[in-house]
Order: sequence, then structure tokens, then C-alpha cells
Amino acid sequence: MTDKEQAALGGLTRRQLMGGVAGAGLVAGMPAFAQTSRTGVDAATWTPEFVSSIAGTVQVDTAADCAKVVPLNYKGRLTYWYVGPNEASPQIDKDIDAQFWAAFAKTYPNITVEKQNLDYNQMLNKTRTAALGNAAPMVAKFPILWGVEFAAKGQLSPFKPEDVGFTMADFWPGAMKSVTWQGKTYGIPTNNETMALTWNAALFAAAGLDPEKPPATWDDLVVYSKLIKEKTGKNGYGLVARTNAGNTPFRFMPQLWAYGGGALDESEPDPTYKKIMINNEGSRAALQASYDMYVRDRSVPVSALTNTQTENQDPFIAGQLAMMIGHPSEYAAMLDRAKKATGDDKKIADAVVANMRYGLIPKGAARRAVVFGGSNAHVFNPKVVDGKLDMDAARAFIAFSTGPEWSTKLAWTNSNPGHLTGFRTSWMKERLEQIRFLNVTTSMLPNGIPFPVVPISGEIMNIVVPDMMQNALTKKMTVAQATDDAARKIKGLMGGDL
Amino acid sequence: MSLLAAPKPPPRWRRLLADYAYVAPALGVMLLVIGYPIYDTVYLSFFNTPPSLAMEDKIYVGLDNYARILASDSFREVTWNTFIWTVFSTFFAFLLGLGAALSLNREFIGRGLMRGVLLVPYVVSGVSAAYIWRWLYHSDFGVIGAASVALGITDRPFNFLDNVDTVLPSLIVVNVWKEFSFAMIMLLAGLQTVPDQLYRAAMVDGAGPWHRFWHVTMPHLKSVTIVTVLLLLVANLNSFIIPWIMTGGGPVGASDIWITAIYQLAFERVRFGIASAYSVILFIVMMAMGYFYVKALTRRDEAEAR
Repeated sequence: MTDKEQAALGGLTRRQLMGGVAGAGLVAGMPAFAQTSRTGVDAATWTPEFVSSIAGTVQVDTAADCAKVVPLNYKGRLTYWYVGPNEASPQIDKDIDAQFWAAFAKTYPNITVEKQNLDYNQMLNKTRTAALGNAAPMVAKFPILWGVEFAAKGQLSPFKPEDVGFTMADFWPGAMKSVTWQGKTYGIPTNNETMALTWNAALFAAAGLDPEKPPATWDDLVVYSKLIKEKTGKNGYGLVARTNAGNTPFRFMPQLWAYGGGALDESEPDPTYKKIMINNEGSRAALQASYDMYVRDRSVPVSALTNTQTENQDPFIAGQLAMMIGHPSEYAAMLDRAKKATGDDKKIADAVVANMRYGLIPKGAARRAVVFGGSNAHVFNPKVVDGKLDMDAARAFIAFSTGPEWSTKLAWTNSNPGHLTGFRTSWMKERLEQIRFLNVTTSMLPNGIPFPVVPISGEIMNIVVPDMMQNALTKKMTVAQATDDAARKIKGLMGGDL
Repeated sequence: MSLLAAPKPPPRWRRLLADYAYVAPALGVMLLVIGYPIYDTVYLSFFNTPPSLAMEDKIYVGLDNYARILASDSFREVTWNTFIWTVFSTFFAFLLGLGAALSLNREFIGRGLMRGVLLVPYVVSGVSAAYIWRWLYHSDFGVIGAASVALGITDRPFNFLDNVDTVLPSLIVVNVWKEFSFAMIMLLAGLQTVPDQLYRAAMVDGAGPWHRFWHVTMPHLKSVTIVTVLLLLVANLNSFIIPWIMTGGGPVGASDIWITAIYQLAFERVRFGIASAYSVILFIVMMAMGYFYVKALTRRDEAEAR
């Protein structure tokens, strides 16, 4: 371990690390980093190499850890809703899900779990309706920002890491922020992930660019996109600007933050979520960059206004798109598409997969940034739970599922452990060996910025931000007018307007 | 006079009671699944329900939601889109349906097959149709764009869906394609009731094709035309699948119509109060149309009763 790596781990020696419970120490023992980095981890040190170097250095005993929280012979009942694997999921996800339930039943044989595996697109509305009708489950696993709406409505029970034997420092500060509403903690992070830039090295080479080097800055990305379009006729960057689609803010906000902008002040070290930054200079610069690619250079898909990321995957695998912001699972998705292709299409798809590269999302004038994604486990308020809330069963389940072992295993193909000790388990090492580019997407985590933790966040991100983009990209408004219009809308939303 | 007196009919109240008993189950179900939601929607429309508040903490605002909707720019924009969408979809679906019905009303080889083919758009699932058309129209890789470039009609694929000026007409084309078969079936049924001797008499009187169509066919189709147009208007006002799946109301709201706007307010922005007020406005419009629909349906009965 280099000095730098050791420093990133808060001065812990290898022996201390191997000793076991250093998950808390990973962040808590790094006051200097905590002050300088919003995630508590030094982005310069948390490199792909570093992520690989710490994996497999810790052994955990989940049952023993859980026994300290709730006795293993506890008898109880739990209702649980989550978005689990479905028909389209890779077999490995289904296998891990089955292994998880078997392992929980073995660890807590007397806790009966009534689980519902829900479709992602149905879960939010179903849970909203259930909570309104006092028919909510005891525990639910929600994507990172859903919880705040329920917390604001008083439908969640306060629940903090200490309730299941962990500490705040066991999790990314950004993740903890996402479960905090008005100073109270309402859940435990289960998994966290960040995206990265993926590109087609062959198209880079065809455009005369270094095939192994991604654009360093967003300004470079605009230039690369234009060059690729001019030299190859293919679209450079997979811009996404559809309204009401989560893909849009996940791809545009990193650009906005990089230039020094923001919707509110979520990119600031201590956000208040009261300051509107959508029309500051940085936000305008970011929107201008998108405008330049879409209107001036025509170097991105014309269909960007109606596209989601799914519509970028097909042109990418067909070799018609050079760059896009990709999820950790994007490589697996491309492999899957290549497997399904036939004839000449298969040759092209296989070539694209071979030429697929992952790199850090470009920097801007202010920073390198990415959306901090993931999920959290929440316990509902007894008032809205269907039947009687069995808090000990909930605690046992959350301790088991969000600990280092299962937070790593359940995030196998498309995320990362919420519990930081998970990064040092042998399972993380196994994942890094199995999943190509996982170390790159993982190394973006310290640059992660969570969306504003306010109930109107969904409206801002899914409606106001895409509307702003569309106003500028369709030339309905100038860039400055579009950002001012967005600022006016956010101000209105904060004041309770339509 | 028969020695056996005819059985005395049951008293009127008893007959009425039996009638009500027959319709009571249906009425009960309607009250439960239609009446209560209507009541609750009207009730909710008087409250502000921001996402940060639980439903029991909703704030009474009287008619404020209605005032805010009617005063907002977006409402005017959405209403104009809805008007264009409804009127043009109805007009062209009816026109195309009438043309198809007139053609299919004549004897020709392959008529049965043609009737089946023309019914395909109507029976295809709306969701599938929307996705298929989305790809046909795709601004980068759409079949229509590729064909127009290959034929030298345009130098780059035509931008159907990502352009504020072309998006609504493009969606109307899809909608007309989807529903003209319905108009065709209705009108074909109407055409088959026109007595053949009237055409023959008109021909004897020297009436040409146009005069026969205008003075014989159309008057006989009047009732079915009114009903068809009203049903198309109602269906188009309630359209959701095509605009939502194909564009989500975009770009910049250029294809947003009432239903998509209501859905967005209620389920994307979690503002049930204002979405309810929007729904009530739409409900009033629909009820007015329903009134005319029922009038059209019962006009003949009333005339016969007189």
C-alpha cells in the first residue's frame, strides 16, 4: 500500500485494515478529507487502482454482526417492498436475490418475510397510494430520492445507522444526506453508484483522436463531438433531453455542476437548498455547451429531445454514436445486445464491444461531477403500516441486508455497496475481476453530488431542467432566457406555485 | 265476455320496484367506481396538496386551483394543443373512415380482405402502435427519414418528433391512422341501411354520383355521423397513449394535451389538488359532449314518441 493510499484510508495501516471493523474508520478517520471533499473521500486518491487495491482485505461475519443488533432467534414478521430482479434481469441477479432470501431465512429462521418485488415504474405510485391508505409495508427499498417525499409527509419512521449497529461514517456522506430530512435520519443506504463516460475507441481513431483518451473537459467533449461528426458522419455525444425521464438530469446535471452551476446549491459543500443557481454563469455555460452541440454543430442525435438513454444504446452498439454517459452496467448491456445480434450486425456489435472504453466524466471550470445514485432502506411510520410494525424484525432485516456482505452482493451487476466496508470484502474483489470497468465507475463516487434533498426535487430534475434544455435547444428561448425561465419556475415551486 | 277474468297486472309501483332492483347492482357498482372518484376529485380540487404535505394536511384554497389553471400560460397552450389535436384527429379520421366505408360498401374482388386489412390499425394495441410509429418517425434512424433521404426527397432525415412545429401534426397522423377504422365500421353499418331503391330512383331522376351521395347517402348517415363524430371527439379528448409514449408531451410542451398535462401534474409532480381541478374542467367539457351524444342517440326515439 502506498503512502497515498494509506492516507486516503485515514492513516490506517494494512494490518488495521485487515483487522476488520475499519469501515467506519475509512471515512471517520479522515477529517482532512471530510473537510475538503463533499463525500469525505479524496477524489485524487480514490482512483480505479486504489479501489482495486483495497478489495479483498477484510473478512466479515454477517450473522455475528446481526446478532449484536437483534438476537438470531428473534420471532417476528416483516413486510418488505423492493425493486428486485425481473424477467429481463441477468441470471446472476436472480441467483443472488434467491441466495439472499435463503441466507436471511437461515440467519433469522423465525422471522417471516412477506416480500413484494415491484416494477420500478409502478413502485412509487403504489407506495404513495398504500401509505395514503395506511397499507404501507414495514420496510421498503427506494431509489435514492424517493424517501424524502415520504419523510416530509411524516410517513417514515426516523431510522439511523446506529439503530442497526453501524455509524454514519460507514456510509458515503452524500448517501447519508439523501436520507436526511430537516436534520433527522430516515433510512440506511443500501447501495450507491455513479456513472462514467463511455466511448467507442474506433470512432475516436477514425476522427483522428487518441482512442484511449477521453475528453478531459466538457469543452473538449464539445470539440470531440464536432470532430467525430465531421470526420465520420456519426453522432459524437449521446445527449439526452427528454422531459419526464430520469435519464435527462442524470446526464445533464454533471455538466451543469462541472461548469459551476446547479439547480439549487446542491453542489456547494453545505447546501441549504434555498439558493437558486440554475441561472448563474456556470449553468448558462453548461446549457450553452449543449446548445452548441445540438444546434450549432449538429453533432448529437436530433432525437435527443425525445430520447432516453435506452435510445442511445442501440446507436452505440451499431457504431453510430461515439460517446455517452454510461451506467456501471452499460458494458454488460452492450455485451448482451451483441450476443443477441446476428449476421453483419453481430460483427459490428462485437467490434463496438471490443472498442468500448470507460473513463472519468469530464471536468468543467469548477469541478468534476457526477450524480450520486443508489437506493436506501426505509422503515415506515407505524401509523401508515398495514398491521403492526415489528421494529425488531425491521432492524434485523436492515442490519442483514445493508451490511458489508449483502450490500456488496445485492449490488453485484449495477451498483456498489452502500456500506463502505463492502469495498474491502472479497466479494468486491470478485466483482472487480468479473465486471469490466467497474473500478472506473466506482472511482467516480467521490465526485458524486446528490440531487437536492427536497420534496420538489423530482419536479425540478424531471420537468424544470429538461424544459430548460428543450427551450434552448428548440430555440424557443435564448440560453439566458431559458435559464432565467427555469429559475423563475424553481422559485415558484419553492413558493408553492404550479 | 270470458268467464275467466284476465290476471290483474301488478301495480305500477311494484313494476317500478322490480325495474330498480334489476339495475341496482349496476348502479351500485357505478356509484362505487365512478361516483365516488368523481366526488373525491371535485372535493380534492378545492385543496392545495404540495408534495411535501401528507394528504390529511392538505390546505383548503377554495376556487384558487381553478383560477390558477385558467390564468396560467401553460393551460392556454395545452388547451390550444388539445383543440388542434381533437378537431383535426376527429375530422381526418372521420373523412378517411367515410372514404373507406364508401369504398367497402361497393362490391369488388377482395373486399373482405381489404376490410380486414383496414381494421388492423384499430385492433393493434395503442402502446405497440405508438412505439412502432416512434421508430418510424425517429429523427436519426427512422424508416421514413431514411427512405426520404434514399429517394433524394430530403438531404437529411426529416425531423418529425423533435421539432415544435411538426410534432403535433405528426402525432395527429398516427392518431388518425389508429382510429379511422372505427369511423369506417360505424359508417359502413350506416351505409348498409340506406335503401337501394332510393339510389335507383335518384338515378332515374338523373342524379349523378355527387348528387346521390349528397342528397341520398348523407341524409341517411346523419344520425350515425353525429354519433361517430361525438365518440371520436370524446376519444380524442381522452387520448393519452400516443402523445405520452411518443413524446411525453414534448418538446417544450408542443404535444402536451389535457390528459397528459393532468397525468403529469398528478403523478409526476404529485399535485393531486390542482390535477383534480384540471380533471373537473375536462369533466365538465366531457359532460357537455355526453349530453349532446345522448341527445343524438335519443333524437329518433323522441321523434317516434311524438
